[in-house]
Order: sequence, then structure tokens, then C-alpha cells
Amino acid sequence: MSDDFTLTIDGREATAEPGMTVMQAADRAGLRIPRLCYHPELEPFAGCRVCVVEVEGMRTLAASCALPAAPGMVVRTDTERVTDARRLAVELLLSDHPADCLTCELCGKCELQQYAYELGVRASPFVGERHHDPLDDTNPFFLRDYTKCILCGRCVGMCQDVVRAGAIDFAHRGFETRIAGALGRPLQDTSCVFCGLCVQACPTGALVEKTRAGKGREWDFSAVRTTCPYCGVGCGLVVYRKDGEVVKVEGDEDSVVNRGFTCVKGRFGWDFATRSDRLTTPLVRRDGELVPASWEEALGLIAERLQAIRAAHGPDALAFLASAKCSNEENYLMQKLARAVIGTNNVDHCARLCHASTVSGLSRAFGSAAMTNPIADLRDAKCIFVTGSNTTEAHPIIGMEIKSAVKHEGATLILADPRKIELAEYAEHWLRQRPGSDVALFNAMMNVIIAEGLHDREFIESRTEGFEELAKTVAEYTPERAEGITGVPAEAIRAAARAYAGAETAAIVYSMGITQHTTGTDNVLSVANLAMLTGNLGKPSSGVNPLRGQNNVQGSCDAGALPDLYPGYQRVDDPQVRAKFEKAWGVSLPEQPGLTVVELMQAAERGEIRGMVIMGENPVLSDPDIGHVEKALAALEFLAVIDIFPSETSEYADVILPAMSFLERSGTFTNTERRVQLIRPALPAPGEARPDWQVLRDLANALGAEWRLESAAEAMDEMAALTPQYGGISHARLETETLQWPCPTRDHPGTRILHVGKFPRGLGKFSAVEFREPAELPDEEYPFILTTGRLLYHYHTGTMSRRSKGINELIPEGMIEINPQDAEALGCREGDFVRVASRRGEVEVAAHVTDRVPPKTVFMPWHFKESAANRLTIAALDPVAKIPEYKVCAVRVELAEPVRRARQPFRAVP
Amino acid sequence: MIECERERPLLDSLEALAQHRDSLKRGHDPKRLRVRICMTGCRAFGALQVRDALAQQIEAAGLAEAVDLVETGCQGFCAGAPVLAVDPYGYFYQRVCTDDAAEIVATTLQAGRPIERLGYETEDGTRVLRREEMPFFRGQRLVVLRNCGQIAPRLIEDYIRRDGYAGLARALSALTPEEVIEEVKASGLRGRGGAGFPTGRKWEIVRASRGDKKYLVCNADEGDPGAFMDRGVLEGDPHSVLEGMIIAARAIGADEGYIYVRAEYPIAVEHVRTAMAQAEQMGLLGDQILGTDFSFHLHVKEGAGAFVCGEETALMASIEGKRGMPRPRPPFPAQSGLWGKPTNINNVETFANIAPIILNGADWFAAVGTENSKGTKVFSLAGKVANTGLVEVPMGITLRDVVFGLGGGIHRGRAFKAAQMGGPSGGCVPAEHLDLPIDYESLASVGSMMGSGGLIVIDEATCVVDLARFFLDFVQSESCGKCVPCRVGTRRMLEILTRIAEGQGAEDDLDTLESMGRVIKDSSLCGLGQTAPNPVLSTIRYFRDEYLAHIRDKRCPAGICPPLSTTPCQDGCPAGVDAFGYVGLLADGRLREAVRVVRERIPLISVCGRVCYHPCETRCRRGDLEAPIAVGALKRFLGDWEATEGIEVPAALPADRPAEVAVIGAGPAGLSAAYHLARLGYRSTIFEALPVAGGMLVAAIPAYRLPREILQREIDVVRQMGIEIRTGVRVGREVTLDELRRQGYRAFFVATGAHASRRLELPGEDLPGVMGGLEFLREVNLGTPARLSGRVLVVGGGNVAMDAARSALRLGPDEVYVVYRRSRAEVPAHDWEVEEAAREGVKFRYLTAPVRVVEANGRAAGLECRRMELGKADARGRRRPVPVEGSEYVEPADFIIAAVGQAADTEGLQALGLEASGDGRVAAHPYTQVTSEEGVFAGGDVVRGPSTAVHAMADGYRAAQAIRRYLEGRPLPAPMPAAKSPVAVAPACEGACPTRAAMPRLEMAERAQCFDEVELGLDMAAAIAEARRCLRCGRERQEE
Repeated sequence: MSDDFTLTIDGREATAEPGMTVMQAADRAGLRIPRLCYHPELEPFAGCRVCVVEVEGMRTLAASCALPAAPGMVVRTDTERVTDARRLAVELLLSDHPADCLTCELCGKCELQQYAYELGVRASPFVGERHHDPLDDTNPFFLRDYTKCILCGRCVGMCQDVVRAGAIDFAHRGFETRIAGALGRPLQDTSCVFCGLCVQACPTGALVEKTRAGKGREWDFSAVRTTCPYCGVGCGLVVYRKDGEVVKVEGDEDSVVNRGFTCVKGRFGWDFATRSDRLTTPLVRRDGELVPASWEEALGLIAERLQAIRAAHGPDALAFLASAKCSNEENYLMQKLARAVIGTNNVDHCARLCHASTVSGLSRAFGSAAMTNPIADLRDAKCIFVTGSNTTEAHPIIGMEIKSAVKHEGATLILADPRKIELAEYAEHWLRQRPGSDVALFNAMMNVIIAEGLHDREFIESRTEGFEELAKTVAEYTPERAEGITGVPAEAIRAAARAYAGAETAAIVYSMGITQHTTGTDNVLSVANLAMLTGNLGKPSSGVNPLRGQNNVQGSCDAGALPDLYPGYQRVDDPQVRAKFEKAWGVSLPEQPGLTVVELMQAAERGEIRGMVIMGENPVLSDPDIGHVEKALAALEFLAVIDIFPSETSEYADVILPAMSFLERSGTFTNTERRVQLIRPALPAPGEARPDWQVLRDLANALGAEWRLESAAEAMDEMAALTPQYGGISHARLETETLQWPCPTRDHPGTRILHVGKFPRGLGKFSAVEFREPAELPDEEYPFILTTGRLLYHYHTGTMSRRSKGINELIPEGMIEINPQDAEALGCREGDFVRVASRRGEVEVAAHVTDRVPPKTVFMPWHFKESAANRLTIAALDPVAKIPEYKVCAVRVELAEPVRRARQPFRAVP
Repeated sequence: MIECERERPLLDSLEALAQHRDSLKRGHDPKRLRVRICMTGCRAFGALQVRDALAQQIEAAGLAEAVDLVETGCQGFCAGAPVLAVDPYGYFYQRVCTDDAAEIVATTLQAGRPIERLGYETEDGTRVLRREEMPFFRGQRLVVLRNCGQIAPRLIEDYIRRDGYAGLARALSALTPEEVIEEVKASGLRGRGGAGFPTGRKWEIVRASRGDKKYLVCNADEGDPGAFMDRGVLEGDPHSVLEGMIIAARAIGADEGYIYVRAEYPIAVEHVRTAMAQAEQMGLLGDQILGTDFSFHLHVKEGAGAFVCGEETALMASIEGKRGMPRPRPPFPAQSGLWGKPTNINNVETFANIAPIILNGADWFAAVGTENSKGTKVFSLAGKVANTGLVEVPMGITLRDVVFGLGGGIHRGRAFKAAQMGGPSGGCVPAEHLDLPIDYESLASVGSMMGSGGLIVIDEATCVVDLARFFLDFVQSESCGKCVPCRVGTRRMLEILTRIAEGQGAEDDLDTLESMGRVIKDSSLCGLGQTAPNPVLSTIRYFRDEYLAHIRDKRCPAGICPPLSTTPCQDGCPAGVDAFGYVGLLADGRLREAVRVVRERIPLISVCGRVCYHPCETRCRRGDLEAPIAVGALKRFLGDWEATEGIEVPAALPADRPAEVAVIGAGPAGLSAAYHLARLGYRSTIFEALPVAGGMLVAAIPAYRLPREILQREIDVVRQMGIEIRTGVRVGREVTLDELRRQGYRAFFVATGAHASRRLELPGEDLPGVMGGLEFLREVNLGTPARLSGRVLVVGGGNVAMDAARSALRLGPDEVYVVYRRSRAEVPAHDWEVEEAAREGVKFRYLTAPVRVVEANGRAAGLECRRMELGKADARGRRRPVPVEGSEYVEPADFIIAAVGQAADTEGLQALGLEASGDGRVAAHPYTQVTSEEGVFAGGDVVRGPSTAVHAMADGYRAAQAIRRYLEGRPLPAPMPAAKSPVAVAPACEGACPTRAAMPRLEMAERAQCFDEVELGLDMAAAIAEARRCLRCGRERQEE
């Protein structure tokens, strides 16, 4: 770069960019300066003084981690003066540190030990007071040994500046300085979110995972890099194992997605895979009981029953549920099984329940449906508009990025959300709209933007069509009118509109608060309208960014586990496409699109669907109005389930096949930003469990196909050959890199930003959208709006997270958020059980009294089978995307009788 | 009392301010009666009650309308708290109590007369009544404190009347912001917070920093122990800070500011808030100041009292609501400060200087001070100095002028040891730098710093190890804990210091402290850590010996460090005599036991009670209140009492015990050694060159101070223990060590004294009529002295000079003069000796140095002298005499006694073959008395040079312990902490005399021509009453 300059370090010339520190310049020159408190993700702390250097013209030594490099600076890192200071720092630290390397967990990884070795400090020459604080083992996940703490502040930096949980800080002064929970409390009583970044950042044995204690030293462990199985962020993980056992999991610091960060689930929630109730053998139902069987027997039975139903009722009497939890390869094979082996397009999966409207809406607006910009772009956005996404809980790592963008980079955050979620604290504009009123809100924002001439005329002119119609429609939605619909003050709408439109780069981030409505497609179209109107597409740090819920929602859709689309969003009703697949698979394929998830269940209830194969899904908890789902599954003639645990759904199964968890098999997940990443086996599978690709191959072959597939990698090769976006992707490439699709060829580097210069459909299409009310509104009988969503600690139907011991200790049961005003009217205190009823069912659940929800609105997470929110939700569907309206239904709330109390206080996040 | 909330006009233009000031000036009658009473620092001494009493008396006298009772801030002279001033007379009253109120009203307010007793007592006992007559105020120059004590700080009108906000008006009307900065730059003002960065340059940098928003911060987080400058200004004249800040804000382009003041300064906080409210009310602060387009909004942020928050980056973090932890610089606050915006931080005193600079011009300001340090500096003068308080002095003034001029010197004639400057971050400035000009660079050059202006004076009764420990303990506990060298390093240093203070130190601890200190300074993150080792480093630098005393001798010379100390008096005694014990026993009437306690350490009780200089008394805690216990007089009483009752001679040696030790010299050292050896069971023989035993006690000390029979009596006690004293035997000449060895002596103690006078080294000194001091005294004491006539000159200022002069006076001359080249203050002789000499008629020629002896008729006829003046301090802080050119004159003399020093008799020593240190003294280990020769020990003046009897006896005691172990083939004794007194006596204060017992003395008329003892001794009743004055301050230790 032209701004580069030179300085002298130890007599050598080094080059640096403006803004670089001396340490960074030295690193670049290949000269490693020792460091203890430095962490690349944190502001320089400059407390350890191990990185001090001598600079010509400076009176004292300076910490190179914090010292800006300057042109012509003359730096020495190797003088006696510098070494004296380093030695003293290490000697002093060791003077208040137990010399117990022989028994310390971190031996071999400890950075203090390393520098003691490098500087030749055998023992501290200082004899003095030491700290003897007792070991803190009060939380489920990690130990804090104060005697080993060197107060480098990395844990505090992570907690305060990265996660922004503010759970720990320095306390006391002088030699008595300690790291402590806020107000000196144990971590459980603080705002700690147990992400464990502190543990990973700790350079000594002061913070260690409980799972590794006593299991060995770093050199005893072997590490496997893989991808997190929880949410759609797709964090890189490093799994450490010894003797066939996982000892700990860390965030992968080399991952561009998470740079080493994780949330509590990724770091500590892996133990589900090692639970004893894993399925280890195939089970078949005999005399109403599921009993172990051989693979041959089980596969044979499935093939026999499916063939029988197909023979009797045609292929469309069968349905296949793939899974957003499963890999691209598995989803590809599942849809191929349905289409090529059975001959039906009745294949869908739970993406239907979360982002079907994204697919329908964005496809219509742009021609393809995915997050337009990478996660990392958020850091540099001048404005971020988050709507319908409780990012810090549902996508914690992206949440951190947003918080950092606001706090570090000065981004303006606009939040539209009925709940006072954590991001409300960070938002300059918080629009608290009534659930289900999003279109009115967005239209009003666009009304302001157009009225005030803030729209991007050039972009509209050159890149879009349909503006006139849009303008005409939104002209009707003045902020004042919108205020009447949404409850958001008109001025607030104006201010937010100006902030969004006025920013140089503005990114929209949304999630299921937008999609899970009967107006889901309309909502998504509105979001797309807003972005196109302001020219926030096809450039960095902008775009429309749907956050995908599960680890592989993006990939399972990409792989074609959809009733109307082949892999790569190629339409089944397009004859040319169909011909391509028929040729590749050597079969003729059905022409009509199949049924969607909710439609499938409804069809099953009606007896039209008679046999079903469900892979890695649990519709009994995840689908809306589960009373109907239960009836549908009970009505099936045959149900086969492929999973790693028995589930609420597998109770209805005739055959259950044991699958492998993410720790045991290979494959690829595609995260929310279209990044295809490998999972790698770290553990042997339990019992006879097999990888899904193998199960599906064997099942296909049992059904008469001749699949000669020997690995997941081969499945990917086959998929890539048929899927242009994945054309250049292979496991071999992914060993060394991660790739964002479109990646059409083997030498293509992947695509960071979509729609640069051109949309897949050519011009972007504005859609004039009118506001419609949700399907069910509160009334006298059911006076509350129920909205549902996730908690930070739990995940989906709890199959995984509720099997994690530590997580379950923190949150053992569900809850319902009730506004204090409503709680008072109900006579309900924190922790009291209430009965929540809708027209479809009722559940009892503990109340969490909080102003996170506005009056007359209640919120329930849907992870808990004991208090299954989806027993209440409505199966009303968006007409286009067929996504159910999880976010709005009407319920009644009353105190449960007899009086019951929650087992423990609910652990609220900030 | 004046209400501070009232209607006030809005000053919406510069003219409005000027008009308002004019009307205030017109309304102020300088002839009106006003009582200005300090209502800030003096509150702790009852100022509130005094105010109420005065108000009541004024009311009662019907003067309520005629007298203004003005509540001011600090008036500076805290030593006199509570203080008040009465205008228009200018009387300055101190130590006022409620009982004085009526008299003040009647005598001063109604009759206009002063009350003498409330004035300041000068050295000569007279009272002065006006500030300007007090030495404390004479050397001051008030810029920052211009209004402190003069105005009511809670009334903006008082401030405006005295040209307040005129500087602001000028800045707003006549100067551009750039010109304001130029003016401040030209003034040479440097940051008064301590670092001394040029203020104008700092402003310039902030002004040039890019940013639409800038902040101005006043650092009022004063936290140094003993420092209260900022507090004084904020309490006494808050508007001066506000005005400075407003001017600064406009100059740098800030529209918002903070005053960060510690919450434990509640009066300062209140006064600042009041001042801000009044300034806002009048349009001097806030929006559109004085009708201009300049706006500035100010907030007060109360700090929680963390010392580190005085560091600017920590201070800013604290304002931002974060933990007060410093961060690395760069970026400097000027680039990225509060909330990332360019921020200018100055200290209270810096801001208080601004308005006068703008009003009077840079040249006016720069006319005061030194080349690189302009203007004045406020110090809070604290510690062991007579006049404590707040002083403002021109830069460049010497430390001596502050401590001895303004400060009035050290309490009770103790010696100045050092001044701790710059607070805990600073360093101590020892006596040798008393003449150092106070400016930034000079202080730094001696390892100290200007700091914010704490100036704590320490005297000889302060232990430097303890001092260093105190400050280090402060900073280490105030460390924010962020960086390792500061957090852990200072704690480790403190632990080492503590070990040293407890007698567990090792010599290489000092090297460790020094190297650690150096690295901690070099590698800490912020100023706190970078200066934390200073008190340790500077005390080691200047007082290494005192550290070594703790380490090697297990002794705390100042008697402070608990495990190494007993009681102040016992610690003060070189021989470790347990004064605490025998004074207590005496008070209890247990006289025999009391004598035994003394005899534990010294054989010559009555002698010591007469000749000792009583360092025990200098330390006495009673002296901190009024006058010390007359310990010496009590000891003398005990010795004399016993003599009348029958001396309890310690058990004599068994008759068959052979003499194994040869003691050479029968002076106090030799006698003490023989005595203690006998008590340990070893017989010795004392060889004495003179015809009589007693050494210097007999040869040099005149009989009027020590009657011969008293000395003889106590030497006889030693003899009675079975010790033979062979007089007239000069070892080395009459008998050699080898011969003595052959005779069976196995160990030797050489204590031959320093009996030779040092020569004047002047032309003519060998003329008849010129004599050495010691030779003269020896002749007087042992021979039959010739009568003297005419004029006698004694050259020198030591004790020998005084003895010689007083002895000479008794031999009948017309006049006796002491010629001394320094001033009275530097005279090394004990004060009481000089006073007695003067009382007896000796005359003094100070600052006079001899040049040559003038001859007439083949003998001395006079002494050509030269006038001297005092220059810079020497290592002990005494000012060196410097000749005044051309001032020579002749002092006629008939007889000249040269008492300029003593020397050992080197001839005899060479014969003994002992290794000598400088000046021909014998080198001996300081606590085993071991010399270079196997089996030979040495002590007393021959080792020390001219010293005192008690030191000599102490050497004898140590030598006896060492010789015993040597004879028994055991390792020589390691130094042991001083033994605690075994005597536990409850205080018996019943019947104590209220003041120190005066020593009855021989009438002047009876002294002439006669060598009768001058001091007559206390009687039993007086002695017991005196003993009962003892505070028993060591009692806790007794009961440990």
C-alpha cells in the first residue's frame, strides 16, 4: 500500500501500515515479541509488560502491543534493559503463582510457563505473600483457580468487549486485585452467558473446562477441526479428544466465521453426543414394542413397506422429511431417494418452518434466496437494521458482531422487535411494533424515504423494476397511519427511516420474526424493497441478511430437500432441468411439485400420505399445532425414523435407524452466509450407528437402486456436478478452505457478496405489498398474543441441548415471559406456573415476569416438551411459502392450579 | 454570615460585567470591620464553634450591622488553626478558641486594639500581629492563592470585585483563542499537576486535534498523603479555577468540561457547585457566556478516592463510568480522550494561574521564577516543621528558605533530615540539597520531583526505611492492579522493606530494591508505577547507612521500626541505656532498681548524667508536647543518690581469675570494656599512658562540668570489681603487645582516644601564645594552669572550643572570644554549652575564619581573620562558609587556643600495627569492634574520631561481648535487635511536675575564677516529680 512506512526493529528495516502497533509490525517482520495479556481480538491491555520494547527517544520502555508504529521509529527488543523488564515481570508473576506445573492442566500450553522457559526463570527470586483463594467450581462448565490467575485481563476483555456480558471485572486494588463476578457474586448470579470465551482466552491454568480436568495435557490430546451443529452461524470448532473421548471443545481461532468465539452451546453443549440414550442399533416395532434388529432386517422392512404402499397407492402416498440438521450430502441423497428411487417430489424439511418465506420472497425479488453479505461485513456497516431476530440469543456470534459494530465501530443500530431483547440496549432506534404489523412498519419507512427523497434513484433506475407501483402503494402508509397499526410513534419511524436511508452502508438482518407469519413472504418482500430502495445491495456491509436458524438450513435447501426444487433451486416443473436430472440419475422423474411439511402432515391426517421417512427431525415438537401432527403420525401406515436419539416423533415409528452425530461423521454444512464447511469425525460411532449417507444408500439399494457410493465426499461430488452453485466445491478443497457459494468451478474462490452489478433474475423486482393482519388476533376469550422463539441456552426441540448436562443445570425447564402489568392482574409472581391455552391446546409453564414483552403479549420458547409452545401455535400458512404463523396466535393465560413453582429461578440473559 | 443564594443580574455583555464590578467596588468599604475566619481546614480545630461564639458576641455587643463575619477558605497558616483576620487593622489571630470571642469583640472590634496573646510567637518570644510580619508569609508570593482567605468563596461578588472574570472578559474581547494560547505559552506556565508539561503547548495540541467535540477536564483528584493545595484553592477560591477553565475551553475549542474532584473533599465539592451555580446564574458559564457566542457547560464528577484516578487516563475512564484503570498512551488525551474525543486535562493550580496571566500578561507572570520554571508554586508544608500550612512561593526559592524561612525550621532543635517532595511519587531531598532551587529540573536532578506540591519535612527522629515503607505501602495498595510491575513488584518491594524494618534484611536486599525499582520505573504502565519506587530509591540513595543499620546492626537509628526499637529514649541512647526503665522506676520510688538498670549498660552513672549530650531527650515523646523529660539530670541524680546511700558494687571477680584481656586506655571506652568483661567473668588490666585514669573525661572535660571526685568515685567502682589500672604505661612504647601476649593476655582492647589537637595549618601557628585546645585543657585539668590575661581567642565551634573558652574565662583574662567560621546555627557544640558559655561572658565572632597568626615581639599578638558568608549546603545540610573577598581584619589576641578538631595519637598506633582508616583512626568493625589484628579490638575516639563518652562506653560494651566470645572460641556476636526493657512500670503521673524540672545552677558571680561545678543537680522530690512526667510511651511495647 502506498501509505506503508518503514521503521527499524533490532537494526532491521520493517514495514508497517498506518494503525499498526509495533508488535504487529514486528510480527509482520517475522520477529516474535513475547506477550501475555495481548489477545488479537481485544484492545491492547498493556498490563503484563512482557512485550515492552525500547524505543529511541522514549523515556521509559513501552508496551509494543499498544504502541503505534511510526515512520522512522527505532525499536529494540533485544537489549538488556528490555530483558530485565521481561524477566522481572515473569519473576513477579511467578512469585504469586503456584509452581505446580507438574500437576497443572495447562502444562505445555501455559504461556507463563513458556516465557519462564524462554527467559530461563527457574523460580521467582521473590518470597512474599501469595494468594490462596479457594478454587471456584460453582458453575457447571469450568473451574476458576485464582491462585493461577495472572490478571492479564483477557477474560475480562472477552466478557466486556466481545460478548459484552459484563459478568466479570477486576475488583479491589493493588496486590489484592482479583477477577470477580459483578458485585462479587458467583458467576451464576451474574449476567454471565457461559460462552466460555474467558476460558479459551486464559493463558494459564486459571480457567479450565471441567471436562478436561484430570484427563491429560495438551500434548495428550488430538485435535479435530469441525463445524458447530447448533445454529446457522456455523462456527468453526476444534474438538480435543483423548482415548476416544472428547475432553474439551474450543472455538476455532482460524475460522473466518467465529475467529475462535463460541456461545455456550457450541463450547459446552457437545456432551449430548455422548449420552447413554443414544440409539445404537436399529429398532423395529414388534407387537407394539420397538425391539433391536439387524440392519438388514430393518432396511429390508422399510423397503418392503414403502414398496407396498407405493404399489398400492402410488409414489405420492409416501413422503420424506430431510433435515436442516443433516449434512448437504445427506439431504441430497434424501431428496434423490424420494425423487429417483420412489418417484415422488414429496420431500421437504423444517426449513419450511423457518425460512420458506425467505426463499419465496427473495427469489421473487432477486432471483435467489440467501444472505447477500458475509457475517464479517456487519462489523463495518454504518447502519444495521435488525428486525425479527433476537440475534444475541439465537445467533450469538453474529450478535457479538453487531454489538461490536455498535460499540467499537460506531454503527447505528435500528431494531424493530416487539420484545425488549438485548439488542434494544444497543439500538439508537428501537421500534416496538405490534407482532404481525411488520409490513405496515416497512411501508411507512419507505414512505418517509421516498417522501424525503432519500431513496437511491440511480440504483432504482439501473438495477430494479416496479418502483412506480411500490411508490404508489407506500404513499398510502404515512408514519401516522402506521403508528395506528404498529403502535410505533410516527416520529420514531421517521427517525429510523432517515438513519437507515442516510447511512453510507446499511445492512438488514432478519430472522424468523419476519418469516414465520402468514404474511412471511410479504414481510420478506418488504425487506427486499427497503434495501433496493436505498441501493443497499451488491456492495459491502449492506444487503439483506436472513439469519438461518439451524446449522444447515441453507445447505439442506441448497441440496434440494424441497418439494418444488432440485438441488441448486432448479425447479422440478422446468422440463429442461428435469431432463438434466433424469439423465444424471438414469430415471424418469415426477413433474408435479410435492407437498410441504405442514401440508404433508395435513395430508397424512387425511390419509392421503400413508408412509413417511423422517431423518433427523422432530415434527411432534417443531411443527405448529402439534395436536394435529400427533394425529397425522398416528394415522400413518408406516413411519421410519433415522435419528441419533429416540424422540417424541420416533415414538410413532415402525422402524428406527441409529445415525451418527456430528462428532462421528463426515460431511458439509452450509452456514447462513452460504459458507460450505466440513464436519470431520472425531469419535467412533456408538454401537451400530451408521452415517446417514450410508443408511440412505443402503435403503436406496434395498429399494432396488444401484448406488455405488463409498463416502460423503462422493455424494458431494455428485451433487456438485448437478448444482451450479456448488460446481467448484469438493471435500478435498474444503480440507484447506471454506467456500461461499456461488462457487461454480474448481478454481473459483467463492462469492462473498451476492448481486454485485446484477441480480440472478436480471433486475431487482419491487413488490407493492399491502398490510394484512395475522391469522388469529386476540379477543376476549384469548386476550394475549403469544409469540415464540429461542433461548440462548437451548436449541430447537431440545434433542441436543436438553441432553447437555451443564446447560440443563442452568435452564432445566421452560417459561413464559409475562409483562409485570399482566402478571399483577393475574396475581402471578415470578416462577409461578400458569396455564396457557389457545384454541388448539393448553400447557402449563412457569412465569418469568419481565418487561421484555409488552403488555398483552407473552413469549414462550419452544424447546420444552413439558411445556410445548407448539401445542398452542396455529398452523395457519403463508399462502406462498406455506410457512406457519409461529409468531402470532391468541392465547389465554391464567394461574395454574394447584399452585406450582418453578424448580429454580429462570436465568434471564441481559 | 452571608447568604449565598440571592438575586443576581445576568451579565449579558462585557460591559455589564465591568459595570457590575465597578458597583461592587464602590459598595465595598475598605474601612469596614470585617472578621475573616477560615471555615475550611480550620474546622477540624473548632472554627465552627469559634464562628458561632463570635457571631453571638457580636450580636450581643450590638455590632451585627457594623461587622461582617466573612467565612473564608484556607488562610495558609494551618499551624495556628483556627485562624482569623480582623480588617481593617490586619490583625492575624491564631489558635483562637471560643473563650477568646468576647475579648476579640471588646478589645479589637470595639476598641481597635490587638490581642497580643493571639499573635504569632517568634523565635525570640515576641508576638507579631500582622501577616506580613510573620516569616511564614514574608517569603510568599501569591498568584494562585491571591484570594484564598481574603474572600468568601461562596460569594461570586467577592471574586468579581477583586477583578474576577476580568481575565475571561479580556480573553473574550481582546484575544482570539490562538492568542490566548500564545499568551499562555509565552508565560512559560507548566502543568502544576506534577509532570510540568508546558500548558500552552498542551492547549495548542488539543486545539489542533481534529474533532467536532472536545472536552476540558480539571484534575482535582488530589490524593497524596499530606497534600492539600488543590483542596485549598477549590475551597477558598473556586471561581479562579472556573475562570481558568472557561478561558481554556474557549482556547482549545471545548464546549463541555468536567471537574473531577474527590468526594472526600465535601467542602470543595460544595464550593465548586455553588460557584458554578452562581456563574451560570450570571451568564459567566453555560450558554452564550457574557453575551458572546461562546458556550461552555461544566459538570462536577465526584471521584471515589482512588489515588490512581489522578492519572489522566484512569481519571477519564472513571468519568466514563468505568473502573479507574489507566490505559497506555499514545493515544494521548489530546488526540483521544473522554469518549474518544480530544480532551485537555489540567490540574486545579494550573487553571488558577490562567486568569492572572491573561489579565496581567505573560511577561508579568514570567518575571517570577527561573529560566525554565516560571511563576509560583503552592506547597503544602507538612511534617516535622514548625509552621505547617499552605504556602505559595516563587519558583527557584531554595528548599532551605521554605523549610527554615517560611517553615520556621524543625521542632525542638532536631536535625533536618530530608524533605519528601512530590508525594508518594516523589523522592526525598536530603539536607545536602537544602540550597537547591525549587524548580522542575533541579528536583528531578536529585531524584525527587515537583509533583503536585506536597512537601513533607522529616527530621532525625523519622526513619527513612519506615518513611519509604509508608509511601510504598500507600502506592502499592492504591495500584489499580493492572500492570505486573506495579501490582506485584511494589508489593514485593514492600515486603523486602518490611523485612529490613523488622531486622530480617540482607545486604543484597538493597541491590534487589534498587534493581527492581529501576525496572519497575522503566516498565510500568502509568505514572503511578513509574514513580512508585521513588521514595525507596531516593532514601537508599541518600540514606544507605540507615538501611545498613537496620540490616547489619539490627538497629533503627531513628527508633521507629518496631522490632528494632524499644522506646524512643532507649533507642536514642548510643549505649542503649534503658532510660524508659529507670525513669519509670525512679517515678515509682524504686531507686536501687533504677540504678541497676543504668549499670546494665554503663559503669559511669554520675559521670554520664553530667557530661552526656542526652540524645535520649531529643527523642522523648513528652518533648513533642512541650519539653522532654530531663533524663540526663535524673541519671545524674541516681548516681549521686547512690553515692550517698552506699554504692552497690557489682560482684567482684574471683581472686584466682587471671587477667586475660589488656585494655589500653582508661577512658570511658576502656573502663566500660573492663567493667563489662568483669561482669562477664573476665579479668582485664587497663594500661593508661596518662598518670591518671579517665581519659578525655579527666583530660579534656573541665572540673566545673565534671568534678574530679565524682569521676574518681565511679572509676573506683571499676577498680573494686577487681580490675587493675596501670597508669603511666604507654603500650607500644613501654610495653609491646607481644610482651603482653607472653604475659598471658589473650585479647586486647585499644581505646587510646584522640588526644592530639588538629592544627590550624596557618602561618604563625607555632608562635608562643598559640596552643592546641586539648593541650590547653589537659594543662588546665591535670596541671597547674597559668593565669591568663588580656584577650583570649578560641578558634573553633566544637565542644572542646566551648570547654576551652569557658576554662580560659576562669583563668582571669579580660575577654574570651570564640572565632567560628560559620554562623550560630551551624555551631557543632551542644546548644547548652554555647548558651552557658555566652552566659558566662564568652563572646562570639561568627562567620569569621582565621587567616594567619599575627606576630609581635616573637609571640602571637593577634589573628588575621576574614569575614565569611554562607554558601551551599554540605552533606549534613549545613551551609558552607565562603570567604568575603577583601574583608580581612586583625583580631588582637594575647593568647590563641586552636580548638579545630582532634586526632588520634598516630605514633602509638603505628607501634601496635593496626590498620588505620582515614585521619589515622583505627579501623574497627562497627559492632564487634574487631580490628585487622587477630585478638585485637578497638573502640572509642581512636576508632570514631572525636565523639562522646556515651559512644565510647557503648563501644566498650560491644567490645566486651565480642571479646568474651572470642576468648571462648565462639563466633563473634551477630548484631541483635536492642533488648526490650524488662521493666514494666505503670505510669505514676500523680505528683508529676507540670513542666520540665529546671536544673539548679551555680550563680554567675560564683563561677568566676573557680572551677566549681556549675550544675547543682536535682533533689529527690524534684527528680521524682520530673520522672513522673514520663508519658510511658513505651508501655505497650513492655506488655507485648
